[in-house]
Amino acid sequence: MMSFARYIARGELARALDDMARGRVTYAPRREGDAVVFRPRAEGEEPLLARATVPPKGVIFPQSERLFAFIREKDPNDPGRTTVRLDSTVDIKPALIFGGRPCDARGFHIFDRVYLNGPHRDPYYAARREATVVVTLACTKAGSTCFCHWTGCGPADTTGSDILLTPVGSGNDGGFVAVAVTERGAAVLEQANLPEADAARADAAQAVHAATRAALGAQSPAPDLSATPTRLLERFGDNDFWRDMSDKCLSCGACTYLCPTCYCFNITDENDGGDGMRGRRLRSWDNCMSSLFTREASGHNPRMGKALRLRNRVGHKFSYYPQLHEGVVSCNGCGRCITGCPVSVDIREMVVRATEANEETPNA
Amino acid sequence: MPVLKGKELRVVGFLCNWCSYGGADTAGVGRFSQPTDLRIIRVPCSGRVDPMFVVKALLGGADGVLVSGCHPRDCHYSQGNFYARRRLETLKTFLPALGIDPDRFQYTWVSASEGQRWKNVVSSFVEKVHQLGHAPRIEEAAPYLPLAEKGDTPRAPLRPPLRPLSYPAAGTLAASLEQLREKIRAALPELDCVIGWQQGFDALHATPLFMRKPEDVDKLTWGPLNVHNLATYLPQFKNRKVGVVVKGCDSRSVIELLQEKLVEPDNVRVFGMACEGVVDMTRVQKTLDAGNADGAMCADTAPSSVGVEGDNLSIEGEAPARLRLADVVAEKCRTCDTPVPLLGDVVEGNASAPAGPAPDAPPSPPSLDALDSMTPEQRRGFWRAQMDRCLRCYACRNACPMCVCRDHCIAESRDPHWTTQEGNIREKLQFQVIHALHLAGRCTECGECQRACPVNIPVLALKQWMNRSVRTLFDYRAGVDVNAVPPLLAFAVEEKNIKEHGL
Amino acid sequence: MRIGVFVCHCGSNIGGTVDVPGVAEVARAYPDVVFSSDTMYACSEPGQAAIVDAIKEHALDGVVVASCTPRMHEPTFRRTVERAGLNRYMFEMANIREHVSWIGKDREANSNKAAELVRMAVEKLRLNAPLYPKSFDVTKRVLVIGGGVAGIQAALDCADGGIEVVLVERESTIGGKMAKLDKTFPTVDCSSCILGPKMVDVSQHPNIRLYAHAEVEKISGYVGNFKVDVRRKATYVDWELCTGCGLCMEKCPSKKSPDAFNEHVGVTTSINIPFPQAIPKKAIIDPTSCRQFVKGKCGVCAKVCPTGAIRYDMEDQVVTEDVGAIITATGYDLFDYTKYAEYGGGRYPDVITSLQYERLLSASGPTGGHVKRPSDGKEPKTVVFIQCVGSRDRSVDRPYCSGFCCMYTAKQAVLTKDHIPDSRSYVFYMDIRANGKMYEEFTRRAMEEYGVQYVRGRVSMIVPQGDTYLVRGVDTLLGEQVEVPADLVVLAVGAESSHGAPQLAEKLRISYDNYGFFMESHCKLRPVETNTAGVYLAGACQGPKDIPSSVGQGSAAAAKVLGLFSRGRLESDPQISQVDVRRCVGCGKCITTCPYGAIEWMELRGEMKARVIETVCQGCGICTVTCPQGAIQLQHFTDNQILAEVNALCLS
Repeated sequence: MMSFARYIARGELARALDDMARGRVTYAPRREGDAVVFRPRAEGEEPLLARATVPPKGVIFPQSERLFAFIREKDPNDPGRTTVRLDSTVDIKPALIFGGRPCDARGFHIFDRVYLNGPHRDPYYAARREATVVVTLACTKAGSTCFCHWTGCGPADTTGSDILLTPVGSGNDGGFVAVAVTERGAAVLEQANLPEADAARADAAQAVHAATRAALGAQSPAPDLSATPTRLLERFGDNDFWRDMSDKCLSCGACTYLCPTCYCFNITDENDGGDGMRGRRLRSWDNCMSSLFTREASGHNPRMGKALRLRNRVGHKFSYYPQLHEGVVSCNGCGRCITGCPVSVDIREMVVRATEANEETPNA
Repeated sequence: MPVLKGKELRVVGFLCNWCSYGGADTAGVGRFSQPTDLRIIRVPCSGRVDPMFVVKALLGGADGVLVSGCHPRDCHYSQGNFYARRRLETLKTFLPALGIDPDRFQYTWVSASEGQRWKNVVSSFVEKVHQLGHAPRIEEAAPYLPLAEKGDTPRAPLRPPLRPLSYPAAGTLAASLEQLREKIRAALPELDCVIGWQQGFDALHATPLFMRKPEDVDKLTWGPLNVHNLATYLPQFKNRKVGVVVKGCDSRSVIELLQEKLVEPDNVRVFGMACEGVVDMTRVQKTLDAGNADGAMCADTAPSSVGVEGDNLSIEGEAPARLRLADVVAEKCRTCDTPVPLLGDVVEGNASAPAGPAPDAPPSPPSLDALDSMTPEQRRGFWRAQMDRCLRCYACRNACPMCVCRDHCIAESRDPHWTTQEGNIREKLQFQVIHALHLAGRCTECGECQRACPVNIPVLALKQWMNRSVRTLFDYRAGVDVNAVPPLLAFAVEEKNIKEHGL
Repeated sequence: MRIGVFVCHCGSNIGGTVDVPGVAEVARAYPDVVFSSDTMYACSEPGQAAIVDAIKEHALDGVVVASCTPRMHEPTFRRTVERAGLNRYMFEMANIREHVSWIGKDREANSNKAAELVRMAVEKLRLNAPLYPKSFDVTKRVLVIGGGVAGIQAALDCADGGIEVVLVERESTIGGKMAKLDKTFPTVDCSSCILGPKMVDVSQHPNIRLYAHAEVEKISGYVGNFKVDVRRKATYVDWELCTGCGLCMEKCPSKKSPDAFNEHVGVTTSINIPFPQAIPKKAIIDPTSCRQFVKGKCGVCAKVCPTGAIRYDMEDQVVTEDVGAIITATGYDLFDYTKYAEYGGGRYPDVITSLQYERLLSASGPTGGHVKRPSDGKEPKTVVFIQCVGSRDRSVDRPYCSGFCCMYTAKQAVLTKDHIPDSRSYVFYMDIRANGKMYEEFTRRAMEEYGVQYVRGRVSMIVPQGDTYLVRGVDTLLGEQVEVPADLVVLAVGAESSHGAPQLAEKLRISYDNYGFFMESHCKLRPVETNTAGVYLAGACQGPKDIPSSVGQGSAAAAKVLGLFSRGRLESDPQISQVDVRRCVGCGKCITTCPYGAIEWMELRGEMKARVIETVCQGCGICTVTCPQGAIQLQHFTDNQILAEVNALCLS
């Protein structure tokens, strides 16, 4: 597959995207106010290459979706007898996500392990995932909160992508080396009728990958996190540690909703107005930083307090998930939780301190 | 069940049981013919009418909402309509901020004996609603992002600050900071902790610091990067002694918390210094990213150090830059008149003097000016466009020092069930309205709601609008007097600034 | 839920402009509605029986009746569903008569609207919950505020009924306005002869505790259990010791104290017993004129008092009384006639008020019952009475009729003739309002037997002429200007609310009108009740009243109290607020705004929370709107219940 490489000149990008996206809704980064978000792209629209403030996970796992509608029907002869009919038709259109970064695309892989390939296949997720082509843009810079290289991801990681684009050259000579990662990616790329990327350009792409990796390493050498899953478990009861870590946390959901791998949801039923006989079941994003996340019907909350909630967030990503998923960390190091946090809670610091601090404590 | 097409519009009435519902009955007994549009919801008292019911109806598709209670002084519960008058008038002045025509909402007083008057009220209100026609829905408005908000266009120039923001020379600042640290170290033994700032994940970002040990105090920083309002953390320390370091504006939040008894005066120690402004990080980032075609939003290379030199922010590193504070300070700093903390142990209590004479009226903040300059239709389009990207993460709420309900916010509860989990504009905007209404007379405009927003939705403008309403209606400003009673928790038998609405 | 809907024709009242069977049909499709029918008269015996039967037959657990206003028949139908075994709050009404059929003729629109109102009622009912009243003990003592004739009557009736009475009077003696009157109309019998014995009864009744020269300072609590702080103002005389002998008055060297009892016709001593029949008959020192207070030396009264009762260092004292009901009988005050510049604005000594004239006529008054002009002590030969001074006059914001001035003016004119047989009396009047028993006959006698000259018209000006006056006015029956020379002019000043009435109303949490008169619960059917349970009205505090009406109301209020106390325990309305302590964050905003003081702090596992005092809460719901977390919810009108109604209308 890796041999299948094409070249898109800078000026050809919009056209190439139009062709690749034939029959699909394209989602691409767009600036809205002071944020960059994924929005449906119009044909011919020059795409924004900036990294989005919010990852594209909502395209496949919407912020809120109707799972089904329920319609109560009365027996006209006996209004006391009501039957409930479900309407679970979901309108899913073929889509293409353009402009996510490797950390965004790898997020779908984290989802896949739970909703696609786990013991329960989530039909809504599966349908959208299978209808969506992911065209990813490799990173050329190391952002100050980027730490993808810590987590098994990287600036040119292809996990979760169908096509990877790497910017090469600059100005008018610039363009993108596009590599198909999957069969589906290859087919989509073929639609664009692009020239093959020559060896020089393929090398240039490799050089960009290497340079970004180097920059990341220089900014923050990747620590050894192999012991982290167990260390975090050992830390489970260390309330002082989690208090110190969570002191400044505001318990909002910014980190989770900005996270490309956070996949938790809530289910609620809502009545429609009208005749009062219809309603819908909604699935919406939920987050473990909210006290409501674990509040039980009795009112008891096993995770009372933000320390326990933050512990779950870090523990889940770096310990519980990896233990269930062959060591795969459910954090891609995109750093959005750090930049997006109103008080700059830093997950890197927590992971490192949880890992290191234990080493300081000699095995008595 | 729809209204009769072509004949009726959706008009909802909330009537108190004792006077107005009786007045409507009297009108019926007298066979006073009235338009059929109105549907009446009976409540015990106009004081029971939550302004949010009105918002809920208007956002949900009502074309008009009418509230009627007993005449002032005549309330069955003696004070309900006095509270109602303040709440409903506040709401009426707030609705235009959302692009909702305030004429679609009216409140009035009708006694049980005033059947004729009730007929006139209903007739004239329904007629007015018919003149206005079907209410336009916010979710159907054409998205409107004014020029200054559009990505590639540079922002319109901001109002220059009232004071020439300028930090003291490095040495002086360091000496003052050391003095502040000394005070904190001295107080630390009797406190659970003292909350201040330290450097965050890079040189450009500060982050809250919880000082428990004397050596923690060494990390305390002071300067334009200390953007957070640390008063937000105080209520969670209930029954424990805690210290907090404040800027002038933050001190107003402490005052507000003290006033609402959410923080006990004996349990809080306040430390502070005069402030010369804090940055708007989005602005800084934008300025730094300006030359970077690819860049955006993800802080590119971290600066090696950031310093403040008088009225400049100097950034060292791969891409060195000098930014004028006046260009990058937060909106609140441009109109700030409380640079010095209003309470607590204040070190270095002198701030730079205002450039000119004090303005007669508080200058209106730029975001509010922007909202003012829009037509109602544009405002609906504006909120539609802005709220679309809301993640419902509630960072705006959790960062707000006055949002003390926290885990019990009605935005997420089922009982009461004010909002659903639907990801649409209406539900998202509804929370912003709840926030603004609950902050009426309590908000100090610290701007944390907007600063905390991970997708930079300009929600502060709604609070600024509300604050202006509160100031106009009640001559009240939150966070300056520990002993004041917030205007919506009080009433006056004769309201100086509330006129009867002719109905 | 299993809901039954009953749509009432109300004969043709609703059926005439609403498709009643059609509405019932539509309602059958509403959520949880398992039974729906139309009914000719839902409130009739067969109509109610049908509801009871349907509840049983269809195992209904909630009922909606669409008919008239709930203000009319909600109690009726609540009893109906209760008879069938449902909780009375599992019931809702849709008002399709007063709010639909009677106000529009468009059958289609009416039917549609009626169906929507039923839909709203169904949606609310789906969230209703059974509510149960709580019962509580009653303190069988009553507070009577005001010791005028209405208050005296109420106190005596209550005391005779066997309950303890606390009677609080602002002045140093009870008796009120009636004690100042010489005679009463239409019988012209002596006022103090009929009031005096009642006053004595008050002082001697074992069930009555009298606090004279005292005021109600603070009231808390609720029906059955009020707590009242009474401020006993300093009298500077120990009333336990004072025998009312009057020696102090005789010897008091300071004789310039304003004589309030005699309506300031003259002055009196600084230590004083207002009048011989005063109850309690105790002396009181006026510290504003007493030499001991003003100059710091004198002490004559202390020296002469045979029982040593004088206490110059006495201070106010606050006592707390527990009572179960309150009767307010605070009476009225006189309009300040000096607002009328045309009558001299108070500058003419021989232009006096009717009550001052009453004191001149009284044998116990300052002139010993001889009518003398205040200016020169001469007997007036021509007396002009001007009616409606501060009544029926919008220009002085007194548009109402004071009711009794026509009658007492006639009485005073008659008495004038009795006192000064060669005198002439003129009465300027607007209309003569003599609507009581024997009243019209009495005014006729004044005109016909006593030759009182009645002139229908207003007086435009009183002009001093030498030592007499010229009264200029118009005779509207003759249609010409008239001028009457007068030796004395008596102004029939109207009644206005007692000073301090609004402040007292606020303490009692009752309403008052624009003029400060207290509001009764219903102008016809609940004339002595207020909208605050356990608080009753008697006499002129509710509006100007003559003696028989005041006495009647005093007895009526007493009957209400006795009726209330005849029940061993009281039931509280369960439509009150309730705190969800799990949601409450303890900000206390509800406590600040509650007009009844019905919410208090409580400590729960170290955290402060709000708690509703169930018997105090009146169910207004102000707190529910105040609470940002929605933690305090007014039962039967919860956020979710009202939202269900809003959503039924607005969500589509």
